[in-house]
Amino acid sequence: MKKDVIQSTPFITLVGPPNSGKTTLFNYISGRNNKTVNYPGSTVEYSMCRINIGKPNEAELLDSPGIISLMPNSPDEQVTVDAIYSHPGLGIPDLVVATVDASQLSRHLLLVKQLLLSGFNVLVAVTMNDILERKGYKLDTHSLEIELGCRVCKVDGRTGSGTIDLIHQAELIINNTIKNYDLKRIEINNDTDTLIDLYKDIEGIEKRVLINSKELERKIKSANKAFNVLNVEKPEKVVNRPDEITIKIDRILLHQYWGLLIFFAAMSLLFTSIFWLAMPAMDLIDQTFGSLAGFVSNNFSNGWLTDFIADGLISGIGSVIIFLPQIIILFLILGLLEDVGYLARGAMLVDRPLSKIGLNGKSFVPMLSGFACAIPAMMAARTIPNKRERLLTIFILPLMSCSARLPVYALLIGFLLPPDKVFMGGIIMAGIYLFGILSSTLIAGLVNKFSNKILSANDSSSFILELPTYKIPKLMVILNNTFNSSLAYLKKAGPAILVFSVLLWVLTYFPNVHPKVDTSGLSEQQSSELIATERIATSYAADLGKIIQPVMTPIGMDWRVGVSLISAFAAREVFVSSLALIFKVTGDNDDALQASLLNAMRKAKIGGTDQKIFTTATVIGLIIFFVFALQCISTIIVSKQETGGWRIPIMQVVTFTSLAYVLTFITVNGLRLFGIA
Amino acid sequence: MKTAANLTFGEMAIITGINSEHPSARRIIEIGFTPGQQIELINKTAFNDPLAFSVRGALIAIRKNEAESIYVI
Ligand SMILES: Nc1nc2c(ncn2[C@@H]2O[C@H](COP(=O)(O)OP(=O)(O)OP(=O)(O)O)[C@@H](O)[C@H]2O)c(=O)[nH]1
Ligand SMILES: [Mg+2]
Repeated sequence: MKKDVIQSTPFITLVGPPNSGKTTLFNYISGRNNKTVNYPGSTVEYSMCRINIGKPNEAELLDSPGIISLMPNSPDEQVTVDAIYSHPGLGIPDLVVATVDASQLSRHLLLVKQLLLSGFNVLVAVTMNDILERKGYKLDTHSLEIELGCRVCKVDGRTGSGTIDLIHQAELIINNTIKNYDLKRIEINNDTDTLIDLYKDIEGIEKRVLINSKELERKIKSANKAFNVLNVEKPEKVVNRPDEITIKIDRILLHQYWGLLIFFAAMSLLFTSIFWLAMPAMDLIDQTFGSLAGFVSNNFSNGWLTDFIADGLISGIGSVIIFLPQIIILFLILGLLEDVGYLARGAMLVDRPLSKIGLNGKSFVPMLSGFACAIPAMMAARTIPNKRERLLTIFILPLMSCSARLPVYALLIGFLLPPDKVFMGGIIMAGIYLFGILSSTLIAGLVNKFSNKILSANDSSSFILELPTYKIPKLMVILNNTFNSSLAYLKKAGPAILVFSVLLWVLTYFPNVHPKVDTSGLSEQQSSELIATERIATSYAADLGKIIQPVMTPIGMDWRVGVSLISAFAAREVFVSSLALIFKVTGDNDDALQASLLNAMRKAKIGGTDQKIFTTATVIGLIIFFVFALQCISTIIVSKQETGGWRIPIMQVVTFTSLAYVLTFITVNGLRLFGIA
Repeated sequence: MKTAANLTFGEMAIITGINSEHPSARRIIEIGFTPGQQIELINKTAFNDPLAFSVRGALIAIRKNEAESIYVI
């Protein structure tokens, strides 16, 4: 009797134009933490929750992606619109709560009008009343109710004010109106006159429901003075000026010449500061884990379990946790940019250059979020209406340096630089990011030029984007988003690191647990190092390693790096924990974790020879490898889901991974040719 | 015919019509550019494309070729 259950639980959909505050409201009512961004199109996935409405006890509440009108303009909008008329799982909504930005009344009422024309039960939730008041106007809720013929509530999803009334109204409507099972679709035709007429209607409504606060004051004053009844007419000009402060800020940030410069400065600062700001916190974590590993190996009996905990678990996990501060800072800065309202400006600034290489200004936001993780970034690409541009954006997204690569780069940069050159580190880090971006644009340009076959989809390109009002970022919102993203990062990387640490440790430790070596005349430290080296050289991992050695020799590395590279397919960070596990053969000093790993890397030699594995050339080669290689299984799966087939994800894996190998080969051998070992 | 793309910085104009042949015509109208509305060119990027207009109290960025479909006086 599943059907009955579904029918007895009322179902409410939140519908509204992009950036009108749906998710903010949804989060407040549901107690969830879905991401809100001051950018039109931040929600691309449905989100559902059960809420308490009194009678009947519960209702399903659905948050939907923003739409401008019920007439879809792209296949993705079609899906969204269809789901409003009839949700695939829940059917026809009992009630539609339509969010309307009070400061955008004349534009946002279009969708409400269309919803009413279709026959939905509509409850209007007016958001952003604070912004309207800043403009000197007030909305007369009662008049609007009469004009529209449906209930209207003022809410603020950030503080929760008005939500109790909203839920109460929802309950009344659900209990007292008949659900309309026979909704009328808004016809899609190219006759624009009906739209224009609808707008004329709305303009009339807007004039009647907005009250100029000053006018109101004057009226009250003049009423008090009695007799003076001159100023009774409503103001002629209704709010048709955008927020003044926003215009002033845009005069600088979107300045015809400075705009682009500021944009690049902001982006460079973002990438360099990841390195700089995180340093103190990183050192602290580094020391803590280093001493922890030292403590374990010094204080517990010598044996494989102690070795496993100290060298396997603590160093493995620690070597990746160290980079958490960098990741948090990345999320913090991205969150700041998102909440202020700058993203749409960024998109506008780069639309022209991006359109030259077959992308779109709207590719900017997915690309930027690609620096956090390619998975949400690929989903964010849904906001690009043109299919070809969207596929191309998804294609190059794996080249954006995601946060999983941060630990790898940071370690390798640490190898290249003396520890006191943090300043240079930031610059190199920004350089790597820039390199990734440039390569992605180059590849996008090439694919765009030569492959109508690969991405054959031709509809006209367009760029129409609302630039939202600048907002003072809500610290709580940013901290919340950052916390959630960091937690998600740990949850994703954590298990992979743990599993691979255990697996690799077993493979490198057995079967020759107590190798027979001649330790006479050696200090205790030297002999334990010799034992560990011998143990790995005769381990299961070494047997496997012989298979990959031929692939590693041309790029100047040995099977141990190869094993780490392979384990990075589970998650890129695992590369670092694997290196820590394989190379950090001594665990009995109190050194900071990273320093002792770097030390071990400096000493490592290719098995049986005197040739060092990690040299300037090979480390730069490794960085190049990580810039290009597509080593993330989740990304491949999401790419399949978002592009609707295996063709593009397979092309991505083949192209990027072979490119990675070839370019690493060229880099390592090229550098050696120029005398850089 | 003068279009929104011909406006200079800070110049205001009234929309007289939208070229319904333009592939984005419907979206342009839906986002608020309708005949009778006053618009103002607020920002341009270094490439003169896209352009940002104020319309109905909002700031909307559109490409130059889309602005060319908006007729103004
Ligand atoms: N000043 C003000 N800001 C608000 C209010 N409600 C939401 N916001 C902010 O408006 C921005 C957009 O909010 P979202 O909830 O992400 O909007 P949305 O409707 O879900 O947008 P899409 O998912 O893009 O369709 C965020 O920066 C919110 O913090 C409000 O009542 N007043
Ligand atoms: Mg949303």
